[in-house]
Amino acid sequence: MDEMALNVSTAAVRAEGLSRRYGATRALDGVDIALERGITGLLGPNGAGKTTLLSILATVNEPDAGRVSAFGLDPGHAAERVEIRRRLGYLPQELGYHRHFTVAAFLDYVAILKEITDRRRRAEEVARVLAAVGLEDRARSRIRALSGGMRQRLGIAQALLGEPDLLILDEPTAGLDPEQRLRFRELLSSLPGDPVTVLSTHQADDIAAICPHVVVLLKGQMHFAGTPAELAAAAAGRVWAAGERDDRAHLSWRGGDNRWRHIGDHPPTGAELVSPTVEDGYLMLSHTAGAR
Amino acid sequence: MTTTGGGPALPGAGTAALADGHAPASLTARSRDVRLRTVLGLARVEASLLARSLLALAGVIAGGAVVWVLIATMQPLWWSADWRIGAGQLILGMTVLAAAQLAAGRARRDSMTDLYASFPATAGTRTLGYLVGLAGAVPASLVLLGAGAVVVQARGAIGSPSVTVLAAGVVLVIAAGAVGAAIGTRFAHPLAGVIGALLMFLPEATSHLSSGAGLWLIPWDILLNQLGNLPGPLAGYPPAVGHLLELAGVALLAGVVALAMTVRGAWARGGLVVAGVVAVPVIAFAVVAQLSPIPTTELNHLVTEIADPASVQHCTTANHVRYCLYPGFGRDLPSLEAPVDGVLARVPARPGQALTVGQIVAPQNITNEYLFYGHSQQQVTQWNAQIMREPASAPSASAFYLSVGRWPADGGRLADAHFNVALTAAEWAVRLLSPDTLPTEQPCVPVDQAREPIAIWLAILATHPPASGLQNDGGMTAVEVHNTLVPTWTNAGGPVGQITGSAPQLTDAGYLLAKAMTSLPEQKVSQALRGAWATWLNEHTTDAQLAAALGIRMPSVPQPPLAGPGSGQPGLKTVGQPGPQSRACTS
Repeated sequence: MDEMALNVSTAAVRAEGLSRRYGATRALDGVDIALERGITGLLGPNGAGKTTLLSILATVNEPDAGRVSAFGLDPGHAAERVEIRRRLGYLPQELGYHRHFTVAAFLDYVAILKEITDRRRRAEEVARVLAAVGLEDRARSRIRALSGGMRQRLGIAQALLGEPDLLILDEPTAGLDPEQRLRFRELLSSLPGDPVTVLSTHQADDIAAICPHVVVLLKGQMHFAGTPAELAAAAAGRVWAAGERDDRAHLSWRGGDNRWRHIGDHPPTGAELVSPTVEDGYLMLSHTAGAR
Repeated sequence: MTTTGGGPALPGAGTAALADGHAPASLTARSRDVRLRTVLGLARVEASLLARSLLALAGVIAGGAVVWVLIATMQPLWWSADWRIGAGQLILGMTVLAAAQLAAGRARRDSMTDLYASFPATAGTRTLGYLVGLAGAVPASLVLLGAGAVVVQARGAIGSPSVTVLAAGVVLVIAAGAVGAAIGTRFAHPLAGVIGALLMFLPEATSHLSSGAGLWLIPWDILLNQLGNLPGPLAGYPPAVGHLLELAGVALLAGVVALAMTVRGAWARGGLVVAGVVAVPVIAFAVVAQLSPIPTTELNHLVTEIADPASVQHCTTANHVRYCLYPGFGRDLPSLEAPVDGVLARVPARPGQALTVGQIVAPQNITNEYLFYGHSQQQVTQWNAQIMREPASAPSASAFYLSVGRWPADGGRLADAHFNVALTAAEWAVRLLSPDTLPTEQPCVPVDQAREPIAIWLAILATHPPASGLQNDGGMTAVEVHNTLVPTWTNAGGPVGQITGSAPQLTDAGYLLAKAMTSLPEQKVSQALRGAWATWLNEHTTDAQLAAALGIRMPSVPQPPLAGPGSGQPGLKTVGQPGPQSRACTS
C-alpha cells in the first residue's frame, strides 16, 4: 500500500457526476459526493438510489457516467480497483450466506478472499471481529442456526475483516434489536483507524447518534450534504406541537405524549414551535423535493 | 445490477486485473504474490470442504460398492481388476462433479455475488481456487483405489496392476471435478451438477449405438468381461496411456472453460487460449490413439494363445494327471490338484486314458467385434476360424477345461469351485465324460445309472462342499429323455461356464442317492464299489441296484409338477409336447 502514492485531495473518497440507469429507471442522476474519514450517514427513501450509489463506491457496480476516486485510486483501472478492494469492507443490503458454513469458517473464507493469507493473522482477525459483534460464543455454530439479527451481525463482522479504510454498510441495522443497534453504534464509534464509513439507513436516530456527516439522496439526486444539525435545521421553524391535528401540515402524527407533531409551513392553532430533529429535517427535505 | 468482479462473466476479474497496463510494476509483482497465496488459501479451504463433503463420502461408498461387486464376480486378474476399480472411480467422479458444481456456483446460489464482487480476490482467483481445491477429491479416490487393490490382492491376484490404469482412475475423478467447476461457474442451480453427473453415464446408456472401437473410450463399460477372460494383459489393449491422456486433456479443457468464464484480462485469456490449444489436440490424439486397431502381431499372439494353448501353457503332471495352465496361473495348481487327488484317492480303478485338466479362453466369453476392430474381414475370418479350434471344441472323454476368468469362484465360493473340479474329475473316473458330445450340444443324461450318484459321492467326499452349494431345486427343472420328464440337478454353487467339457446333465435322483450314500461310513461304500467297480460303471446298472448293494432305501425324487399345455410355468417341460429331447448317456 505504501508504494501507492495516495493522491488524496480534499476528500478520501470522491464521486463526481455519477449517473446510473436500469432500463428506463434513472437510479442516479449526476451525484457528486465527497466522503471524509469518519461516519457519513446516507438517508433516502426506498428507490432513492442509495444502494446503487454504495455499490458503485464499493466497486461492485459501474456508473454509466461520472467518475469515482478512492484514496486517489481510480476503480476504472483494474489494478487500482483491486487495490481499493483491498482497503474495503462492504455489507450489501441483501446478503445471502453459505448456510452450511460455521460462523468462524465463513469469516475465515471471507478473510482469504480479502487476501489475508497469513493463517495466524487471519485467525486473529476472525476472533477480533467476532468479539466486536458479540458472536464469539457462536463461532462454531452453523450459519443456518443463527437468528436474523445474528446473521446481520455476522455480515457486519465480515465487513470489518482486515480493518478496512473504506467501510460501506448498506442498512446494517436492519433486523437488529434496540440493544444490538446500540452496540452497533458503539462498535462504529470505536473503529480503529477512523475509516471512511458510509452508512445507509432508514433510521434517522442512528444518523443523529453517530454520524458527523449526513447525505440525503432523493430520486437519484443528492439533496443535502452536511451535519445532522444542519439537516435538522432544514426544518427549523416548521415543526410544531399541538393538541389537535392540522390538515394543512405536510406531515403530522400523534406522539407518545398524546400531542400532535406537525411539520409544515403554517402553525396549527394553539401550537407551539419545537426544536426539529434530524428526522424532521429529512422529512421536510423529502417533502420539499416532492419525493413523497 | 451489473457487477465488476465478483460473479461469473465479470469484467476485471482474475489476472485481467494486471493486464491493462496501468498498474505499477511493484503493485503488479505484489499482486501476483498475493494472488498466488490467495489461490492456495482458497484451494486449501475448498479441498477441505470437498474431502469432508457428504457427496464425496457417498461417492466413495457407492464407488466402493461398485468396485466390490465387480471384483467379487471375477477371478482376481490384475489386467482386468485395475479397469474395474476405474469403474468405481467413475461413480466417485460423478459425485465429485456434483460437489464441484455446488462449490463453484455457491456465491451466486447464495445471493452473495455483490459481496464477492467487492473482494480483491477476483472470480478468476476463486475459480482457480476451486480447480486447485479438487485435490481434495484425491484422498477419496486413493481410498477407493487402495481398498480395491487390497481386495484384489487379498483374493490372490494374478498379474500386476497397471500404474497407468490406476492413475487414470484418479485423473478421471479430477477431470469430473473440473467439469463440475466449469458447469458451476455458469450454472449455479444444483440440478446442473446432477445433470452433468448423469451425462457421465450417457455413454454407458448409449454404448450399444457406438462402434466397437468407440467403446474403448469408456473402457470400464465393455472391458469388464473382455479383459477378465484373457489369459494375460494384452499390450496396448485397452490403450491406457491414451485413456489417461484423454482424461488429463478433459480436465485441462474443463479448467480452461471454467477460467474462461471468469477472467477477462488479455494476458490471462491468451494463456487460456494456449492451454485450450494444448488440451484439444491432446484429447484428439488420445482419442485417435485409442481408436487405433490392436496390432496384428498382438492379435496373432492372442489367437495362438486361445487356439493352441499348449504352445504357451505350462504343463505339469501330478498323480498321473496332466495340468496345463497359462503363465502366471501356476498359483491355481494346488487348488486343482487337491480336489482331483481327493477323487482319485477314492476311485478303485482309473480309466485307461489319463486325465488332462487345462485352461482355455472360451470363445463365447470374448467379443471379437472389439478385439478385431479395424482389421480386414479376411483376417478376422481367419482368426475366428482359428479360435473355434480351441481344445474344448473337440469332445473328449479324458479332458476338461477351466475358463480363464471364470474359475475359480467367478463370484461364487472357492469351495464350490473346488467341488466343480472334483465332480468333473469324478465324472471322468466313472466314464461319464462323453467323447460323442460336442460342448455346443445338449449334454447326455445318465438316467438311472449308478455311476452318476457314485461320481457325485466321490466329489462330495473329496471336497466336503457346504450344504448350500449342493441344494437342488426340488424338481423345478427337468429334461425330457425318451419322452420321460427327468428332474435335473445342478449344484447351486456352480456358475455356468466355469468348466468346459463333455460333462453330462446330472439328475435329482443321482444327487439324492449320493447324498444318502454320504450318510454311510465311507469305508463301507468304498468296499462295495471296489468289489464290483466294472459293474457299477456299466450304463445298465441302476440306482436301485446301488442302493440295494449299500443297504439303503432309494430316496424319493420330487417330481416336477406336470404342466398341462399352456401352463407357462418356467423351467417345466410337458410330456407329449414337441421339444428338444436329451439323450441318455452311454458307455
